Amino acid sequence: MPQDRQGGTAAAGRDAGAAAEPSVAGLDARTERDHKAISRLADDLLPALIAKLAASGLGEIEVRDGDWKARLRKPIGTGDRKPGGRSSVEGLPGHGITAGRSPSAALAHSAGEERDRLAREKAQADETASVPIVATSPAVGVFQPRKDTAVGMHVRAGDRLGTVDVLGVREDVVAPVDGVIGLSLAEAGEAVEYGQELVRIELPENSRGLAANSADREAAAVLGEA
Amino acid sequence: MFSKILIANRGEIALRVLRACRTLGIGAVVAYSEADRDSLAAQLADEAICIGPADARRSYLSAPAVISAAVVTGCDAIHPGYGFLSEDAGFADVVRAHGLTFIGPPAEVLERFASKEATRRLLEAHGLRTIPGSGMLRDEEHALEEAARIGYPVLIKPSAGGGGKGMRLIRTPHELETSFKVSRSEAKAGFGDDSLYLEKYLEDNRHLEVQVAVDRFGQAIHMGERDCSVQRRHQKIIEETPSPALSDAARQELCARAVRAVVEAGYENLGTLEFLVDAKGDAYFIEINCRIQVEHPITEMCTGIDMVAMQIAIAAGEPLGITQADVVSEGHAIEFRILAEDPGKDFRPQSGQILGYLAPGGPGVRMDTHIYAGYEVPPYYDSLLGKLSVWAPDRSQAIARGDAALRELLVDGITTNIDLHRAILANEVFIDGKVTTNLLDRVGSAPFVAAGNR
Repeated sequence: MPQDRQGGTAAAGRDAGAAAEPSVAGLDARTERDHKAISRLADDLLPALIAKLAASGLGEIEVRDGDWKARLRKPIGTGDRKPGGRSSVEGLPGHGITAGRSPSAALAHSAGEERDRLAREKAQADETASVPIVATSPAVGVFQPRKDTAVGMHVRAGDRLGTVDVLGVREDVVAPVDGVIGLSLAEAGEAVEYGQELVRIELPENSRGLAANSADREAAAVLGEA
Repeated sequence: MFSKILIANRGEIALRVLRACRTLGIGAVVAYSEADRDSLAAQLADEAICIGPADARRSYLSAPAVISAAVVTGCDAIHPGYGFLSEDAGFADVVRAHGLTFIGPPAEVLERFASKEATRRLLEAHGLRTIPGSGMLRDEEHALEEAARIGYPVLIKPSAGGGGKGMRLIRTPHELETSFKVSRSEAKAGFGDDSLYLEKYLEDNRHLEVQVAVDRFGQAIHMGERDCSVQRRHQKIIEETPSPALSDAARQELCARAVRAVVEAGYENLGTLEFLVDAKGDAYFIEINCRIQVEHPITEMCTGIDMVAMQIAIAAGEPLGITQADVVSEGHAIEFRILAEDPGKDFRPQSGQILGYLAPGGPGVRMDTHIYAGYEVPPYYDSLLGKLSVWAPDRSQAIARGDAALRELLVDGITTNIDLHRAILANEVFIDGKVTTNLLDRVGSAPFVAAGNR
């Protein structure tokens, strides 16, 4: 499931963390062999894909290589895009919110640091058994989860999971896909920023193939709007 | 004084305001759009908050997003920078309604000076000469009548515009007929207001502006003038102070008259009065900018005043604390706007990654920028990458320092106008201090670009 941050995102794997290009992150990569696969994707496949994508008029490109797939999507300049999932921010309710990335991380460009980051993201990804998709904040304001929802409840894409109060006007937080409500990433009454990850939607293990398809459909729908 | 300020802007000015906050010991939160997550201001800030997507209408231009960000981060004031919401009276009013302070003129002052046409009449009544112009144009027929009365060439201007945007030079009634509707719809699209007016176009004019500051108690100073005659299609490229076109006596007279007029008209906070000066040396008031301006660093370099700090203090209700006698402008300063534009390709805006960046240094050199090596210039906003400003005891030394600094400045990976600046500095018309606003458009930029490549 691509979880892109800003434009120029490259995502790979059955699940994807996201990273500034050219890099990949993978889920379920538990062996040395997978590390090698990641390196191959990052060093050989992605640069070629980026060139292909740039030369084409396409908005998105996806290739499969054995167990792995890599998907590239053009920056948002090619069309307005829904706020994507991104690294979450730390912050206390009623207080400021700190940018999720440190200057050193954003300025980092060496391959070594890139690898370290991949390893960290893989470790994070490994903690999640099923494929997480996240409902994000539509605005900067105060988050209130919907009272009649709870972890484990089934939701459909577009269902309201809560609201973000923007100066008294409530904007809906909606489920991006069909699934089951998972972990809440923000407390009731917490100050949240635009695009912040709020509620996880879990896709059951046995529906992973389906989930991938549904994510593809979603991506296609997003591209269709552009 | 404020405890924490939300900086509701981007690019170099967000960083400039952050620096002022830090020197004043005030907390600051940088509000950024998704496209500016990696900008230097967002990274250097103690706190930063994403307020919306790349589209400025849903981020930097969204009053609810900006104010909500200020509320949830516990700010007590909002600095709007320049552009975006910086001169929006409605926004300033809503900011106040939420118990916050807008750093700029109070809402009613912005309201009073919102219409350029009304402002010209107001300041004319307080002793400033204005360019012959029309009132608001009712329709095409009215425009033709007014143009005939004023005499061609005329400029057709949107009342709500600024920075030369949406302006058109009209030389014949036929041009006016073909341009009127287009100008009207452009004004509507660009500024949300389709009011237009006409103004006599002065050929071979210079563009001068007087920097003023007025506190809540009516105490006021001017900080001299800036000469912004080096323009391309009404966009300033190089600014300098003092103007080589004014004698000391003329400068004193113009600045004193300007500051007196705005105080009498009830202005408050930092402001810039723009004038066109014709070949005879007569200065005509054209508009007032109710905000900090892009080119403020050169005034800071000559006066030693931190103008952003002054702006914040005035908004907080503090007295100026200095009088005109305390303002001493020394030496000469020049600013070069470093733009991500390709002079060889009709100044097309460039975006992409900055592969390498090295800032110039040495005596009297200042660089205001938000770029760094690895920074991705987003395609959504203006093309200003930064401002290189130089100061020296006199103009010829300032030109020499400017050229040395431009040679040192390295921006790799993206096409910029650095070479064009060097070519202008080497041009005799500039060296003689005789640039008029139409120079680049009249002779074209190609000779400058070509000369720069030699």
